[in-house]
Amino acid sequence: MSYQVDEKDGYAVVRLTGEVDLNRSPDARRVILDCLQKKMPLLVDLSGVDYIDSSGVASLVEGYQLSRSRQLDFGLIGVSDAAMNVLRLARLDKVFPIYASLEARLKDTR
Amino acid sequence: MRTFIERTGERTLGAIEELGYAFSLCIESLYWLLAGPFLQQPVRLSAVVAEMMKIGVLAVPVVLLLAFANGAMMAIQGLATLREFGAESQVVAGIAYSVTREFGVLIAAIVVAGRSGSAIAARIGSMQMSQEVDALRVMGVEPVRHLVAPILLAMLIMMPVLTMFANAAAIIGGGIYTSMTLSMPLAVFIEQCFDVLDWSDLAQGLYKALVFGTLIALIACANGFSVSGGAEGLGRFTTRSVVLSIAAIVVADMIFTYFLNR
Amino acid sequence: MPQAATVTASATPYAIEVEDLVSYYDSRRILDEVSLRVRPGEIMVVMGGSGSGKSTLLRHLLGLNRPAAGRVSLFGADISQASARELYQLRRRMGVSFQNGALFNSMTVEENVAFPLREHTRLDERTIRIMARMKLEVVNLAGFERLMPAQLSGGMIKRAALARALVMDPSLLFFDEPSAGLDPVVSADLDELILRLRDALRVTILVVTHELDSAFRIADRITVLDQGRILITGTVEEVRNSPSERVQNLLNRRSEEIDVDPEEYLRRLTD
Repeated sequence: MSYQVDEKDGYAVVRLTGEVDLNRSPDARRVILDCLQKKMPLLVDLSGVDYIDSSGVASLVEGYQLSRSRQLDFGLIGVSDAAMNVLRLARLDKVFPIYASLEARLKDTR
Repeated sequence: MRTFIERTGERTLGAIEELGYAFSLCIESLYWLLAGPFLQQPVRLSAVVAEMMKIGVLAVPVVLLLAFANGAMMAIQGLATLREFGAESQVVAGIAYSVTREFGVLIAAIVVAGRSGSAIAARIGSMQMSQEVDALRVMGVEPVRHLVAPILLAMLIMMPVLTMFANAAAIIGGGIYTSMTLSMPLAVFIEQCFDVLDWSDLAQGLYKALVFGTLIALIACANGFSVSGGAEGLGRFTTRSVVLSIAAIVVADMIFTYFLNR
Repeated sequence: MPQAATVTASATPYAIEVEDLVSYYDSRRILDEVSLRVRPGEIMVVMGGSGSGKSTLLRHLLGLNRPAAGRVSLFGADISQASARELYQLRRRMGVSFQNGALFNSMTVEENVAFPLREHTRLDERTIRIMARMKLEVVNLAGFERLMPAQLSGGMIKRAALARALVMDPSLLFFDEPSAGLDPVVSADLDELILRLRDALRVTILVVTHELDSAFRIADRITVLDQGRILITGTVEEVRNSPSERVQNLLNRRSEEIDVDPEEYLRRLTD
């Protein structure tokens, strides 16, 4: 797994690529929590993720929870089918704000 | 139809197999205690502490009571016997030696065998019956590391501690009776005990404590893992664990005493 | 840490491969040259009555019994030849739901589910708790995390055990008698869950059962064991339409006539 952090239109966009598994999800978790500590609204781009396991999803849950307690915007973008299946199994697709892309998030006036 | 010889042979083989199994549990536990941390599969400290609580701390009151009574009994018998020779003052040395070398550790071991030997066999046995042991194994958690090693380590730590408690209680028990009978102050009695006692006397008891602790742990665990045949089997193996460990303790004690006091 | 992929040295298209497996209990032959192959992502149901050898087969697949002859491979790795380290890596990739759950009685439901994570990973404690609760959500046991196993019903215990089996995101899942002791509705729910898991996680599933309804509901393929031998392995349709009398007897739950060898029978009674 690798990650890349960009700042764009006031959002921090964390792009995860590769396999987010038990061994590598702690890195993803740290990056996500770091961004939120800096009080940046955050989108996590999963379009480059081949596989995400529940430790990866748990890190996303923790990030989302922290963002809400700090009243920061949080969302997932580019969720692949494989990732969506994992989210859906635990009914988390109904919890996370999910958008097609950063542009879609900006157009969405929620 | 099986002959007597066949049955004796089978039993002997069974006994040898069981000894081998207990020995392998011992080796495997030591392996995990030493190598576990490097394989990222350590023996959990929290589990060891929990076992130390159950095996050691909770046994203290019974050990103290029995050791105290035993010390008093030795004083009663000793004084009665020695009176015939007019050597009543020798009772101090008699109690001091026999308690530290022999009876302190024996009482501690028998209490632990009765309390923990049965509890451990029952706990592991019921885990075996409910497939919890299989579950550990298929999760990649070695049952010996998870269950046996903490028990063995806790025994090795707590048996010497309990032995020291038992020594103290027995000497005080003997001292109180003696001081009442011979009008010798308790402090003098204890002081005389320290005078006659040598480190080697205490060490003799503590070596035995390590050996007895190992025997109780291994016999209890081996019986626990061997449980089969439902609730009745569980009861049978639990009882067997206590009887076997007490027998093993007494026999080992005899062998030990023979070699240490020649 | 190298992932379990290192174990999958020899490439094989099968998740489970059993070749000519022979197993004895004392001198009784329990499995007689059993061969079975399960493809990744497939749900294979092993069916048979009591004494058919299906539980023994499962124990061999889990690496709990050693074969007298033959071979059992998971992801191409022979588990009776595997080193302790390889076996450990394989076991991190499998989840097992035991017949009676085999939950640790001294731990709460959540501690049970989190147990493999605490043993095998160094994840943050908060991540572990979220993961355990996510799995309890998956099996519809949300809100029961603080209960002890003794406080749960049979169906709940099975679901909690399933949550524990799932917590490491295994690629291979084993179920021992998932419907045993459950009423038909609860059992159907569990079957539904098994199907959902396979679709969402692409996990390979092997189910050992004697329940026909359940087997037909979930199986991609069924293998029928009888007295230690495989009678047939095939799709649900193939098994249903099998011309074999024994298979049909089993499907129709007729107690079957056991071949009687008078000499042998007499010997058994009098020996």
